[in-house]
Amino acid sequence: MAQSLLIISRQAPWSGPGAREALDIVLAGGAFDLPIGLLFLDDGVFQLVPGQKAAAVQQKDLSANLQALSLFGVEQLFACGASVAERGLDPAALNLDEVQVLAPAELGALIDRFDQVITL
Amino acid sequence: MSTLHVLSHSPFTDSRLTSCLRLLGAQDAILLCGDAVYALQPGSAPLAALQARGEALALYVLAEDHQARGLDVPAWATSVDYPAFVALSIQYDKVNSWL
Amino acid sequence: MAPGLQTEFFMKFAIALFSAAHAPSSRRALAFAQAALAGGHEIVRLFFYQDGVHSASDNIVTPQDELDLPAQWRTFVSEHQLDGVVCIAAALRRGVLNQEEAARYQRPAVNLSAPWELSGLGQLHDAVQAADRLICFGGP
Repeated sequence: MAQSLLIISRQAPWSGPGAREALDIVLAGGAFDLPIGLLFLDDGVFQLVPGQKAAAVQQKDLSANLQALSLFGVEQLFACGASVAERGLDPAALNLDEVQVLAPAELGALIDRFDQVITL
Repeated sequence: MSTLHVLSHSPFTDSRLTSCLRLLGAQDAILLCGDAVYALQPGSAPLAALQARGEALALYVLAEDHQARGLDVPAWATSVDYPAFVALSIQYDKVNSWL
Repeated sequence: MAPGLQTEFFMKFAIALFSAAHAPSSRRALAFAQAALAGGHEIVRLFFYQDGVHSASDNIVTPQDELDLPAQWRTFVSEHQLDGVVCIAAALRRGVLNQEEAARYQRPAVNLSAPWELSGLGQLHDAVQAADRLICFGGP
């Protein structure tokens, strides 16, 4: 049975290649049909803000990659509710329909459900 | 299921320790290495935050890093060398490094 | 660990490095890897990602009285015949190229060679699947 892997993405979208390279790990895992989960934590939740304009900083739009997640069979998508709230974001207005917003108390249990984890 | 959380960023410039403590499970442990050992700084808020967890928190500190920085390891934490670090990575079900 | 199960004394490790040679975490990763082998464990693969690709660079010049970590990594991988993989996408983005890629993209310098192999993220996933433990090193 395949080991499951949780990727915890903590970087804001335009702070360097971190957000993009975290997504790449997730998409590669999905492409290989592996059980992958993705948690947006801390500044990582900024990746989910709608109405961003990547072109303004000559970057590639990450939202295409985010929408591709379900196409790659990655459906275990989570965001930390405290990270969302602290940043004044509306949990109902995140740019990813399938993302489950979790309370901090639920995050430990989430990590426990996976065999391995990478926090980047 | 138990996780060994590994931190290497200074708690004074960075929010990783705070975020880690927020989601730390009852069976989990923390290993401080690199600049994260500054959390042992006496009289500091990070040290108080760790101390507040009491016996519920299993805290490990990489020996070379607290030695390099001239920091003492409190009695309620354990200094570890690399063989012990390897052993811890096996003892806990997985390792979560806060990169 | 379920009661009654034998403890596995020898484990398979996948080790992923996310930082350059000048980062203390790169040295720490090597020290961990050395301790793992010394303890009788197996390293399934070393996977270098993000700035970890720089830890595999042939072009780092360190003063004689300082630690030459890229050289130590190379020696470690060669001596133990380990599988040392550098992520190709991360490497290209950061200008770490082997002969093949330098020729492909007509770049003037080759700074990655044996024992390092350039490959994709599939190798990271493959290592995670094959290992008992995944350990990542990065940051300071």
